Amino acid sequence: MSTAASSSTAPANSAKVTEPLREDDAQPTLGVLEEDDEFEEFAVADWDDSQTDLAHLGGAAPGAAKSGGNKLWEDNWDDDDIEDDFSVQLRNELEKKKSGSAEPMQH
Amino acid sequence: MPQMNFTQFLLEIADALRTENGPKLAGLLKPVEEHGKSLVKEFRNPTKQSLSMYEGSMESPWDEIAIQYVLVVNHCAKRRAIEAFKEECQLVSLFFRYFTQNSGWTLPALFSILRDLRDLAFDADLEARHKGQGDTANMEEAARIISKAFSNCITDRSSPYAESRRWGIYYVVGLVLKSYFRVKRISLSKNIVRAIDATPDIPPLSAYPRSHQVTYRYYLGMLNFLSEDFSKAEQELTLAFYNCHIGAHANQVRILTYLIPLRVLRGHLPSRELLDRFPALDDLYSPFIAAIRKGDIRAYDETLDRFERRLAELNLWLTMERARELCIRGLFRRVWTASDKATRIPVSMFHTALHIAGLDVSIEEAECMVANMIYRGYMRGYISHEKQMVVLANTNVFPRLADRPNPYALV
Repeated sequence: MSTAASSSTAPANSAKVTEPLREDDAQPTLGVLEEDDEFEEFAVADWDDSQTDLAHLGGAAPGAAKSGGNKLWEDNWDDDDIEDDFSVQLRNELEKKKSGSAEPMQH
Repeated sequence: MPQMNFTQFLLEIADALRTENGPKLAGLLKPVEEHGKSLVKEFRNPTKQSLSMYEGSMESPWDEIAIQYVLVVNHCAKRRAIEAFKEECQLVSLFFRYFTQNSGWTLPALFSILRDLRDLAFDADLEARHKGQGDTANMEEAARIISKAFSNCITDRSSPYAESRRWGIYYVVGLVLKSYFRVKRISLSKNIVRAIDATPDIPPLSAYPRSHQVTYRYYLGMLNFLSEDFSKAEQELTLAFYNCHIGAHANQVRILTYLIPLRVLRGHLPSRELLDRFPALDDLYSPFIAAIRKGDIRAYDETLDRFERRLAELNLWLTMERARELCIRGLFRRVWTASDKATRIPVSMFHTALHIAGLDVSIEEAECMVANMIYRGYMRGYISHEKQMVVLANTNVFPRLADRPNPYALV
């Protein structure tokens, strides 16, 4: 069965070669996802917790994030101290507004 | 399996049946093995007629299965994929006759011939396309036959628990769903899921081998994602991810491709540690995540534009478009921190911030956006329209995204 079994990858690869390069450089390349949207057969039927990402949960339930002991997901990421052009411009505008809005009060 | 002639082949099958050796039976029926090649040499251009002399040479249906096997390997050797697939269909149907009369010891052989059936269907569809005859007819036929295998597993009520054919349910369903997704007949998948949910006494999914669990949960997650039941999708994909073998990198990528945006919508951003393990997903999602963290709506919109085609191909564009709200929340939160967390902020400040960010909206639109953010629970407060003032709550002005009660609610 030389034509079969290897099934999925070969045709997708050849299609990719013939496709001319265009604006696609801008698209992220997703490796496996581009070639084939099929979930692959696992090499083995069963395995232990130690061979999974359950280890990252630190005993938490799989839906948790960092505050729940799972370091793969962050749930406290609001940042009060971002310094960039945007903050500078935003503060300048705020100052202008303050001095501007002070004026009508003087009347 | 080593080289053997047809008589030896029959004897080996008989031995596998007598000793109830499922893996051996699976090996004997695989069309890629050495013994298959030797059978190709033994028979020149075999046909059902030329092999009919072997009918009755062993217990039915194994005499016919053995004959079918010779036909399959012969077509494979001659690279006739469509013919090979047709004969394999026959082989599988004959196998069902034996399968349904026995306990689950033959499951390894069932899994193996169904995988071969799908592989052959894939090749047959390729050949058909080359010849300009249809596109997915063979895979559709394979899906139909695999669904029958599913029924043959689920209807086992007589075998002892440990040897029940029901232990084949989830593996076989995985193959059916793969086939339906391949031929884009996704709506048919729901019938299978319903059949499982409607059948009592199936052992719990967690009792099955992890490979069966993870594949089933991945497809269940995808079905829920496509029908926009995001909460269910997130649960299933989360379990798929955490039970997946870490060595199955490509499958982890597939799961995370959908799990990450669903997690983002509920305020769980993938950590650097996670993204470093999956560079392709890092490339795709990091620009969005950085923009959400900074409330950089311009960068967010640019990324949405730039990745539009790829996201659309993955059915993810709408999801990432929805996550844009999180970025606007971030932007408004920055107005609040820049105002030293004042409880009264003029609407005009939000308007100005949107302008600096590059969104050319009117003051009325800005007010509307603030109103919407409040309504959707992203910020707490109210707008005094007459005074053009946003009055914010004293505490918890921007609740943590992870604490929103209904992160997937549409309105």
